[in-house]
Amino acid sequence: MLKESNHMKILKIDNGKGLYFKEPDQWIGIDQIGKEDLLTLLDNAISGDFEMDEFDTAALQNKAHQIIYKHLYQKFNELNENKSRFKDESEQLYKSAIEKYTEAISSENN
Amino acid sequence: MKKIDLHIHTKASPYSDSVYDFSISKLQEYVEKLSIDCIAITNHNLFDLEQFNQISEQIEITVLPGIEIDIEKGHLLLISESTELDDFKTKCNQVEHLIQNKSDYISIAQLKEIFVDLSKYLLVPHYDKDPILKPEIIEQLKPFITSGEVSSAKKFKYCINDTNSLVPVLFSDLRFTHQMTEFSPRQTFIDIDDKSLRAIKTCLMDKNKVFLHHSEGHRFFQIFENGQKLSTGLNVILGERSSGKTYTLKTISRLYENVKHIKQFELLETDEEKDKKKFDELLTTKQSSVSEQFLKEFKEVVEDVLKIDRKENDKRIESYLTSLLKVAAEEDKMDVYSKCTLFNESKFIETNNETLKQLVEATELLIENAQYRTLIDKHISKKILQELAVDLMKKYEEVQQKNLKVRWVNSLVTNVQKELQSSTASEHVKDIDFYNVLLEKEKLEKFENIAAQIKKEKVIEQKDIRRFKIVASTKRFTGAQELKNKSGIQQTAFSGAFPLYDSPIQFLEELKKMERIPETEFYKYFVDVSYKILNEHDAEVSGGERSEFNLLDRIQHAHHYDFLLIDEPESSFDNLFLKNEVNEQIRQISKTVPVIVVTHNNTVGASIKPDYILYTKKEIVDGKAVYKIFSGNPADTILKTVDGEEINNYNIMLNCLEAGDSAYVERKQSYENLKN
Repeated sequence: MLKESNHMKILKIDNGKGLYFKEPDQWIGIDQIGKEDLLTLLDNAISGDFEMDEFDTAALQNKAHQIIYKHLYQKFNELNENKSRFKDESEQLYKSAIEKYTEAISSENN
Repeated sequence: MKKIDLHIHTKASPYSDSVYDFSISKLQEYVEKLSIDCIAITNHNLFDLEQFNQISEQIEITVLPGIEIDIEKGHLLLISESTELDDFKTKCNQVEHLIQNKSDYISIAQLKEIFVDLSKYLLVPHYDKDPILKPEIIEQLKPFITSGEVSSAKKFKYCINDTNSLVPVLFSDLRFTHQMTEFSPRQTFIDIDDKSLRAIKTCLMDKNKVFLHHSEGHRFFQIFENGQKLSTGLNVILGERSSGKTYTLKTISRLYENVKHIKQFELLETDEEKDKKKFDELLTTKQSSVSEQFLKEFKEVVEDVLKIDRKENDKRIESYLTSLLKVAAEEDKMDVYSKCTLFNESKFIETNNETLKQLVEATELLIENAQYRTLIDKHISKKILQELAVDLMKKYEEVQQKNLKVRWVNSLVTNVQKELQSSTASEHVKDIDFYNVLLEKEKLEKFENIAAQIKKEKVIEQKDIRRFKIVASTKRFTGAQELKNKSGIQQTAFSGAFPLYDSPIQFLEELKKMERIPETEFYKYFVDVSYKILNEHDAEVSGGERSEFNLLDRIQHAHHYDFLLIDEPESSFDNLFLKNEVNEQIRQISKTVPVIVVTHNNTVGASIKPDYILYTKKEIVDGKAVYKIFSGNPADTILKTVDGEEINNYNIMLNCLEAGDSAYVERKQSYENLKN
């Protein structure tokens, strides 16, 4: 899944453990992941292309790692189908009004 | 001077009218009887060319083609020249096609797209007549709109005197059917010789060229189809018993809408106790706006507090504390699952962006408002408001985006937690939204304070009506029966709730248990508002004073009506009250509303100084009763019928108001003797 080397990797399996990307050269055990880390991963994931090691029960020895990795993998995989959903949904309400007023402001400036 | 009626219906529209059969003979009769010079056929959202041609052939006066369009939730008359009828029909067909049910209407853009050059037509909106076309829509249709249709002579006169109003026009808006027995004389006189649409349009740009009456400007208007006129001010009807005075008032009530008719003896009390109760109930209903206004904010507080589940919040805190203590005690027993950070992770709280939304709406209102444009522009430019709106909207989007992300993370955390927690016997910390729990606790404390304040008995409003005073005071409920009376529901008992009356939260919780009491009315059971009428000595009014108050109150409220009719007020009130209180009020209200008073009494008939006098007379001709109306100015020596028959005004005044010449002289002599 998404194995291009220039993509940011956010989840990987190494030496029987699930790890998540904290910052360059810093990978942390997935059992340590908290809600703030998840929000940062989400921001990273939607700002560009991302990749993850495929979920593999056999490769993950720790049962808790299996549970967390499985959920994160599924959820980020779904997200990959439509990364602009947060932006699109939040812009729904005022899209045309912002366009209208921005247009009015710029024509007044000219 | 030409008499025009540019609002006439001849064909039922499937969505705006009930079915009726058009009668050309009734239309012919109408045009002849009321001496009309020009009409326009304006059916709802349709134009029937074939029928229009038939009408034009059979009616001898000018007939203009038109249509009454449902536009932006109001009505607009669009009248064309009689040339290019096929083109007009094609355009009207497009309107007909767009209106496919009762709630459909076309937009301004669609109107412009269909009729292209609006300057070719006469556009007259429903102006002070339902359903009105909103002022902002009329504003957008300027300069094509210069005149507006009103529904009564009163409104016509108001628009003439108000510098900001459009040029008013009064039209019949009649549907001509075989069943019609009388016609309402609602037409407009315009100062033109030529009856072309161009001439009418020019005339309707100038308030000095439109009139209610052909020779009397706006001081008079036609009331009956036979040409009988009335003053737009104060009219007095005199006449002997059974001469048709009350009948005349009833005819006006039947012919016109929005008429306030104070009937003879209507206000007189017959059963003091019953009438007082009725009066108090009526007063409470009429003044209910005072109570609603006073309790408005409290109502909102109650509605908000109702959403709080106090017991559930207590339970959540307890459950949180128990789980926290257990987790702490079992720390050494933690396994691979419970050691994960997500195992006990709390959820993100979403940011409430309702305030941002309200700010955006408020800014948009400032940008779009046309009514107070100049004032707004004086303080802040539209450009700055637009920039503010864009920034607020972008901020809203930012907050919204963050909330969506937070929701996404929370859902992920929940799923992971569920599976981790089901895989272990270790206790986990129960999630709780402390912010919300504390906020709700604070709200409940505030509610208790407000409820205690609102129950303090005090006068909340005083209103003077002439020599009377209406006093509204708050009053604590003193028992379960009072609460029950307030609810008006027989099959309910407040015996469980009333003991908790002084503990607002528990009281509210008890009300919640009462199925028959709607939640939206809970706020009414915290404090009652009572009303009383006091006289000039600050004492409660007597039965007679209550009747007097009722009369004055009704006259004062006649502002909302198009006519005020009063039938023999002297039957119920004494002369001093009529002279000192009533006459002045009637004169005052007659400056804005046409008033017609029937009387035998010289205090009302003569002292009130009417603008116009009508004298009704019954004559038996060939065994049949014929009712005649003679009318004229009070100073005229002769009063005349519409057919020119004359009668002496002096004799009438003496006969009707003073019981004849000799009685008058005799009475005058008696007073002189007494005086000397």
